Amino acid sequence: MKMTGTERVLTALAKKEPDRVPHMEIIIDPKVQQAILPGVSYEDFLDHMDIDGHVIFDKIYAWKYETVDEGRGIVRDQWGALTQFGSERLGHPIDRAIKTEKDLDAYVCPDADEEWRYDALKKWIKRFKGKKAIFAHVTDVFDIARESFLGDVAYYQAMIEKPELVDRVNQIVLEYNLKSIKNQIELGADALTITGDFAVTKGPMVSPKHTGRFLTPATKKQVELGHKMGVPVFKHTDGNLWKIMDLLIDTGIDGLHPIDPNAGMDLADVRNKYPNLCLMGNVDCAATLSWKSVEEVRQEVKSCIKKAGYGGGYICMSSNSIHSGVKPENYVAMINAIREFGKYPLELA
Amino acid sequence: MNEELFEILKKGVIDGDVENCLKSIKKGLDSGVSGEDILVKGLIPGINIVGKLYSEGEYYLPELLMSGKVMEESIRIFDPFLSKKGGERAGKFIMGSVKGDIHDIGKNIVIMMLKGNGWEVKDLGVDVPPEIFCEEVKNGNYDILGISTLLTITMPNAEKTINAIKQAGLRDKIKIMIGGAPVTKEFADKIGADEFATDAWEGLTKAQRLLIKK
Repeated sequence: MKMTGTERVLTALAKKEPDRVPHMEIIIDPKVQQAILPGVSYEDFLDHMDIDGHVIFDKIYAWKYETVDEGRGIVRDQWGALTQFGSERLGHPIDRAIKTEKDLDAYVCPDADEEWRYDALKKWIKRFKGKKAIFAHVTDVFDIARESFLGDVAYYQAMIEKPELVDRVNQIVLEYNLKSIKNQIELGADALTITGDFAVTKGPMVSPKHTGRFLTPATKKQVELGHKMGVPVFKHTDGNLWKIMDLLIDTGIDGLHPIDPNAGMDLADVRNKYPNLCLMGNVDCAATLSWKSVEEVRQEVKSCIKKAGYGGGYICMSSNSIHSGVKPENYVAMINAIREFGKYPLELA
Repeated sequence: MNEELFEILKKGVIDGDVENCLKSIKKGLDSGVSGEDILVKGLIPGINIVGKLYSEGEYYLPELLMSGKVMEESIRIFDPFLSKKGGERAGKFIMGSVKGDIHDIGKNIVIMMLKGNGWEVKDLGVDVPPEIFCEEVKNGNYDILGISTLLTITMPNAEKTINAIKQAGLRDKIKIMIGGAPVTKEFADKIGADEFATDAWEGLTKAQRLLIKK
């Protein structure tokens, strides 16, 4: 019997077999979406393409920005950092909010209870509740505390020189995130996404010791809140995670995205070592979806489903996002291939 | 006694111990050890070990940046001595992140390693269009151009930059390196770069090799 997108995604996150391998993305660039279905709204696009879920990404839907230089795409984000937007939907901080400890003493945290932050979520729930999985979302504490608050260099140095400063900044962000998570789930979100890279291609950004000291405790608290409120949680982080996988699993996450294929993360290897984890992603958006052929996309999707789909617990997604460099025909090919190869029970040679 | 000082300094850099390093530098200078020896025999071997440890996955960004802080605070004392390093000739390097890419930490770490090894470096910053790279190469007298690209989506701009340099008739004037996590040899060869690097240590060692070949 055909499942709804909600049922499909939640079944996969529960590490069971749905009717077919689910598909969704954290972000689909509007240029790609419009090239596939010109003039159609994002919501109608998800419906038409029968995509199973949607993430209400905090930076896109629920953060406040103040324009500083419209021509150069520079804004001040709600944490106080100067952020520059380029060709993608997400900007990148170029100057931090906190430069001295006095700045921190005087700091006023954004209010997670402001109702406007949840307007988009309410709209999506009204249209898609019960049909598509609607994901609450927060950007992880490490990401915000490092990029927006202290800046990369100061945060990393403080991990060694002034751990209490890192703890202080982390706590501010964590308290905001926990309130946001609570509000989103109370409004009806089906699941929770926590995004924020802990690793790069070569390995973790900080040592396993520092990951366990400063990064995963906050993630764990957010996961625990999601579970306490009755929803599954997945974590997104790019990169080679092998050295910190046990720490990530220990946070209690139900799913992990994207199992970065360009960073030595093989679906079969992760599946063998962590059989109870829902795997999400792995279809390469750097090369395959961006410039390889439709047939190569089809074969890669088949390979991913073969490696991770048996027994359920796999959501077929890109290895990061459908960014503006993805060929529209390749994204269509990816979705078609998931339909072609992802019907349960799987029969893949 | 000097050897002991150099070991203390080397260890200070490796451990990211700013206070101890600066104290030892002042002590060394007061006791007549040359600034050049302190830099070349103590500090630089330390930062090179750190770079290698980072490349091998033993050190991570916090450790690398703390060692970088030691070098930065020490370099303020030794600025006049940064024109050469040991027996190897230091060169002139110009670097920037390509158009559309506003990430800079990788680039900044490479610059730190280069400067720590006696290179003169001009940092063009981030989101640098091909024409700016071209103009700087034309007007400067650099040995190597470093193009940084962290995002898959901005990698094509690295190719546009190299093409712009070729079209301006400047390709033979300068060696070109491309760096960043998504960069591969295949991509570097495809776009006509002389070398590529995926981390700071690799960037430094390949830059030194390119300089020798030049």
